[in-house]
Amino acid sequence: MNIAFRLNGKDVQVEVREDWNLLTLLRTGLGLTGTKEGCGVGECGVCSVLVDGRLVNSCLTLAAQIEGREVVTIEGLSPQEGQPNDLQLAFIEYGAVQCGFCTPGMVLAGEALLATNPQPTRMEIREAIAGNLCRCTGYQQIVDAIQATAEHRRHTASSINPQEVITPEGGQDA
Amino acid sequence: MQRFGYTRAACIAEAIALLSQAESRSAPIAGGTDLLIQLRINPTLYDRVVDVSRIPELRCIEQIGDEIVIGAAVSFSDAISNPVLQNTAPVLAQACRQIGAVQIRNMGTIGGNVANAAACADTLPALACLNARVEIATEQSTFDLPISEFILGPNNTKLPPGGLITRIRFGIPHPLNRGVFIKLGRRNAMAISRLTVAVMGRLDANGTIREIRVAPGSATPTIGRFTPVEQALIRQKPSIALFEHAGQLAVEEMARISGRRWSSEYKEPVLAALVVQALDQVFSEIAVANPQGAR
Repeated sequence: MNIAFRLNGKDVQVEVREDWNLLTLLRTGLGLTGTKEGCGVGECGVCSVLVDGRLVNSCLTLAAQIEGREVVTIEGLSPQEGQPNDLQLAFIEYGAVQCGFCTPGMVLAGEALLATNPQPTRMEIREAIAGNLCRCTGYQQIVDAIQATAEHRRHTASSINPQEVITPEGGQDA
Repeated sequence: MQRFGYTRAACIAEAIALLSQAESRSAPIAGGTDLLIQLRINPTLYDRVVDVSRIPELRCIEQIGDEIVIGAAVSFSDAISNPVLQNTAPVLAQACRQIGAVQIRNMGTIGGNVANAAACADTLPALACLNARVEIATEQSTFDLPISEFILGPNNTKLPPGGLITRIRFGIPHPLNRGVFIKLGRRNAMAISRLTVAVMGRLDANGTIREIRVAPGSATPTIGRFTPVEQALIRQKPSIALFEHAGQLAVEEMARISGRRWSSEYKEPVLAALVVQALDQVFSEIAVANPQGAR
């Protein structure tokens, strides 16, 4: 069947198989391989994307169900194509990335939180990423990166400024 | 090769017509968090899924007279943030808040939780506590059943072939009721409930228990209020000794319904403790808020 939706700020129209999930459409149908497949059953969160601003598991969303919706994947997060946004930069800065497999989902989980709660506590951040598993760094650095981005965004007029590098409190500029 | 097809229904009548077509085995889909896992395991389970997630009547939470009516395709996240539910049935909002993680809560629906009827489904004890009724539409009629009658056992309900759960409805509890939902899982997030309990109650002017509803989850294959526990509590003065007695009766009721199982050694003391904890929270908070038991 043919579906139309908004993907990373652009209107798209694509042919999808009716039994495809959104993850298969993104990766196989559209070549957007930033979204990963982990467990395939909604446990690990690596396939997380935003649909109408809400974090969902793309492995448990049928592609046909996103007709008319707005989808944002990790590829569409930054206003400058090919450049990381401030949250992604914070992940790098705080050592929140090791193998990187969970990172796209983690970053989107962080964005979903910050969109509705610009001043999250550490507990709220932990809850917001509770559906995303990381097997390398543990979670402290990821929580640190999201928290620093929240603080950074509160202190800057523009919410997204990819040029600025965030440093840990009291740390030196990288 | 395509393993199953997809159709979107615009209204309840269309959904029922599609689900009732004898030539294809159809299942309704809304959040998909249970159904797509089943279809991943067994891709030929159904010929077609019928998307009911955009039917407007299935997406609203309304107060109609002295009843709350929740559309079956309301997501857990929508239920949590809904002011009507927060005011009238916080026990259900609490139960929804403890489901899965944010992704699952954004996708999964109350109707889906009821339809799937997992033994560990978190909304079921809260809905039993609220005396909720499940509204079902078929091509012939629309009717409703108490949740405790609708659910026959794990993943087994009275939903007739071609039927669709359209709404969940319950009378608004007395405003002085306090509700508590406690869940015990192996970890905080994404945990399958090992045991849960939903408790709702209020005191009368003399400080004795005027109303009490106790519904454990994951304790029995069916779902429902534990009446022997409630009978032991009604018209009594709240005390830890009374709550402990109630916890013991809950354990006896679980054993009566489920029989003793491999898990009983674990579940019995845990259920007793959860019941004590929930009762303590319901009544100690009332006692603090209302020290004279006035009104």
